[in-house]
Amino acid sequence: MTDQEHLERACRRLLAWYPRAFRDEHGPEILAVLLAAARDGQRRPGLAGSADLIRGGLWLRLVPGVPRSARTVRAAVWLTCAGAVMPAASLVLGLVTLSAKGIVGGLVVTALWLCMARAIGQGRNGARIFSAVLSGVVTLALALAVFALGGPGHVAGMTVPSLVLSVLNWLIGLAAAGLLRLPASTAFFWPPGRAQARHEARMAERARIAAIRY
Amino acid sequence: MGVRARQEATFLILTALADGSQHGYGIITDVQQISGGRVRLRPGTLYTALDRLRADELIGVDREEVVDGRLRRYYRLTPRAPGGSLMRRPGCRLTPAPR
Repeated sequence: MTDQEHLERACRRLLAWYPRAFRDEHGPEILAVLLAAARDGQRRPGLAGSADLIRGGLWLRLVPGVPRSARTVRAAVWLTCAGAVMPAASLVLGLVTLSAKGIVGGLVVTALWLCMARAIGQGRNGARIFSAVLSGVVTLALALAVFALGGPGHVAGMTVPSLVLSVLNWLIGLAAAGLLRLPASTAFFWPPGRAQARHEARMAERARIAAIRY
Repeated sequence: MGVRARQEATFLILTALADGSQHGYGIITDVQQISGGRVRLRPGTLYTALDRLRADELIGVDREEVVDGRLRRYYRLTPRAPGGSLMRRPGCRLTPAPR
């Protein structure tokens, strides 16, 4: 394999970080730019360039084209990403202290927040409903923990800082769920015309089945 | 990359395109020149910015060429872009950013 082929293969691997639609659209151009910018004999993309590509890909996977006009939805995606910071920190803490509970818990909760952010960005109404339900459940659980178990400080073995952080993340989740219930957000999840298109598709399907039957 | 750096990158890309249509690698070299060698855009930053600018209808695809078997897509400003029609008025010239 020549140096150029080596480099091209490494670059293609990096492009896998991007969502498929973006890769199909811009992949060949990005590859051309990476190869044009490479020095003679370069066999792999530089560290900074690779990091930049990976960050761009992750960002696009999280906020896949929420238009600027949908401000409330963009804010909700941002908030949901912010919600992943605390569990990610507990994941790192778990890795450092080698606590299996910390690692698994941190991983699951971080993944949950990030998946939520992604699903909201994709305009999935299920994510909107799920975020509302989840906020409700967490509100109940926190309220029970605080009032049933005798005041903060010794809530189910929680320390005060971890309780404060839990409350903070609960507020973040609540704010995101609230933003998603605003009429401005509803338009993103149910754009005008979509409900009508669904209705028409259902009617066409019914007509098709009726035509087969008779 | 912070919001400011991203805004600056977007601004420099639009400035590079104000001179006429340009392809990805050309934008990188133009931006380096406009910023006096200070800003060297990386492909990841460039294409996420181009994709967003296209979604916001500030830029569009001018034409595509194949050079040495590689795709080159030229972008241009749309009339909606800041400077899309403004910067092309007579007497308006681009000067390099002060250092």
